Amino acid sequence: MDPNWAVENLQTIRTLMERSAVYRRALAPIMLFAGIAGVTAAAVGIIFRLDSSRAFGTLWLVTAVMVILGAFLIARRQAIRDQEVFWSPPTRRVAQALLPPLTAGMFVGAATVYVLKGDAGGGFNLLLTLVWLLFYGCSLHAAGFFMPRGIRWFGWIYIGLACAILGFLAVVQPAVEINAHWLMGFFFGVLHLAYGAYLYLTEKRNPVA
Amino acid sequence: MNPEPFLKLDRLIHEKGRLAIMSLLAAAPELTFTELRDAAGMTDGNLTTHIRALQLEGYVSVAKSYQNNRPLTTCSLTAVGRKAFAEYINLLEKIVRQHKPP
Repeated sequence: MDPNWAVENLQTIRTLMERSAVYRRALAPIMLFAGIAGVTAAAVGIIFRLDSSRAFGTLWLVTAVMVILGAFLIARRQAIRDQEVFWSPPTRRVAQALLPPLTAGMFVGAATVYVLKGDAGGGFNLLLTLVWLLFYGCSLHAAGFFMPRGIRWFGWIYIGLACAILGFLAVVQPAVEINAHWLMGFFFGVLHLAYGAYLYLTEKRNPVA
Repeated sequence: MNPEPFLKLDRLIHEKGRLAIMSLLAAAPELTFTELRDAAGMTDGNLTTHIRALQLEGYVSVAKSYQNNRPLTTCSLTAVGRKAFAEYINLLEKIVRQHKPP
């Protein structure tokens, strides 16, 4: 009897298990946290009238960084509490899928905000919002291959609505003025809160990552 | 060499196709028939046969429902199946340990 056979079998089992493992750790709390941060940032932007391109971009880039760090800490805390490995293969795959579109979106935001030193106007903020929505939708869709199926649909909602608004503004009503903070608050605040609440109410209480 | 662990290996799980199905299901709460088929690289007929065998032994449960008006078959490990799979892994690890040079 060849002992290598047992080692090979174990390796195959590990590979198959890693392939089918789906990231589902702390999704509801992360979504709720992102939603609260989104709504708060929108409120701050509207109340303090942070409407210049630089103020708008800075506010939302800082919010994005805070949400990413917060999500990281929430997931890590749950992993420690459940005595599981934090940087598990599903976590790694989700991070790898999220990274390129999120980095690109943040880079586009940072670059355009700081290249345009002055105020490029509300139209610029709106365009930046829609570009961010598209990047975010793509990142969710990419990560959705390693997460519960709903995440891919959630990504499509961002992509679809961003395209619809873009089309509406470009073709139907170019002169319409929408405060970009409201739009950001709705998409990054309200939608996250709604999805977080949905997950919280429907998620099975057996998180595995 | 002690052949005891070899003899104890669950013969139902100890088959390439069924082992793949059990491994895939062990890491996910449930998988659809299509997901299982694609991940295990099996044909529909092959997968159905293996799932039926595992179902008869009480290792796998199959649920049929509808999604967007289309039939959806989802499979998951039962508690018995999970226990049998864990025992199978333990035995494999035991075999590996037995043959490890001191």
